[in-house]
Amino acid sequence: MRRVTPDTIAVVDLAVCDRCGLCLPLCPPEAIHLELNILTVDVATCTGCEKCIAPCPVGALTMTPLNPNSRLLAPAAHA
Amino acid sequence: MPDVDVLVVGAGPAGAVAAWQAKQAAPELDVVLLERDRAVGAPVRCAEGVGDAGLREFANPDGADWASRRITRVIFQAPDDTEVLVAERGVGWILDRTRFDAYLAAEASTVGAAVLVGAEATGMSRNGNDRWHVRVKARGREDVYRARVVIGADGVETMVGRWAGLDTRVPSRDMESCAQYVLEGIEFDPDAIYLQFSEAIAPGGYAWIFPKAVGVANVGLGLVALKTDGRNARQYLDAWIARRFPTGARTGYTVGGVIVHTTIRKTYADGVLVAGDAAHMINPLSGGGITNAMKAGRLAGCTAAAAIREHDTSERRLSAYHRAWMDLLGEDHLKYYRIKQALEHMDDAFLNSLARTVNRIPPQKRSIGRIFAHALIKHPQLIPVAARFFV
Repeated sequence: MRRVTPDTIAVVDLAVCDRCGLCLPLCPPEAIHLELNILTVDVATCTGCEKCIAPCPVGALTMTPLNPNSRLLAPAAHA
Repeated sequence: MPDVDVLVVGAGPAGAVAAWQAKQAAPELDVVLLERDRAVGAPVRCAEGVGDAGLREFANPDGADWASRRITRVIFQAPDDTEVLVAERGVGWILDRTRFDAYLAAEASTVGAAVLVGAEATGMSRNGNDRWHVRVKARGREDVYRARVVIGADGVETMVGRWAGLDTRVPSRDMESCAQYVLEGIEFDPDAIYLQFSEAIAPGGYAWIFPKAVGVANVGLGLVALKTDGRNARQYLDAWIARRFPTGARTGYTVGGVIVHTTIRKTYADGVLVAGDAAHMINPLSGGGITNAMKAGRLAGCTAAAAIREHDTSERRLSAYHRAWMDLLGEDHLKYYRIKQALEHMDDAFLNSLARTVNRIPPQKRSIGRIFAHALIKHPQLIPVAARFFV
């Protein structure tokens, strides 16, 4: 299945994340991983559906613009 | 490459009981129990409440150091703080999960299962033969365990199920986002648990006070994010505590997810069983999962042991576990789930009025059945809810 690149993707703030794992089964494409106590969102798999954002008990996940040219996070994300 | 018969991933109540029961049922088998964290039972992600009868199937709480408090009363609170006391005998216990989980793991160890802490399964594959190859990271190095049966008891993350190709995803409406503090120096009845229902306090869930000692309690709430006003669970909890216990000392906190869904469609695959939270085996009405997990762990451990003895760990053989679970509790959870859906439509005004209706029943006569009957007479809108209970 061809994936359409989303405008924004979920990004985790590891300083806020409690590693509870709640977001993993909520992710339809299974883009979120928790390994060796580090939560990661796979940039290439996240579809930007936002299903993980509101349920995070501490608000550690936010939607962040994806720069379609570089496939890196745009600097504006942190403005 | 270590060769084992049963590899259990996760040493919570489901995993520890699975390892314990598998080794006890078939002492000749090599059973290994993996715990990712550095201590079994920590960090606690739980309100620690458990029913008396279910607990006693596995452990005797009388005088046990892992039992913090015996509970003899349940107090429901309406949105306007109206209290409804439901008196029952031998209601339950508040555990100390750091000690309780360690106790269960020690039981597994006593019968001869190997318990490894700080050991994290990071992936697994099957490569066509009759064993799973499970990658395990521990103390900075990676080993590959070869296992005849892998039991996934890895909680809400449920990675083993995912690796085995099972669908362990949860719809947003069936995920409770929870936050909890340990509060000290607060006043409440230390023999009671308190449950407060209100769409303003904990939309789609409830707030709780579970006593750990006189003046000390787990105070938390669970909510469904789809129903909130945009605040997260911890912000809802902070607001509730600011109103109810403004002077309480917050000596600990935890957050986590409770899956209030029904058992996943398939809890087994070739050489794989999934148990406890990982298989969504939580009572969707109460959010309670500890005894469910232990019962599922017992079924999984015994099924795995018997299957290995018969030299048949195929999906077909292991499906007996799923059937046994559905007969034991899985079908009940489907009914509870329907009730949960029906109850979602009660607003705060209705709950306040319901609490007053129930308080007209003398306390000694307040059984759940009688409350239900009275409630139906005064609040006919509950009839569809009652009907669903019997469907």
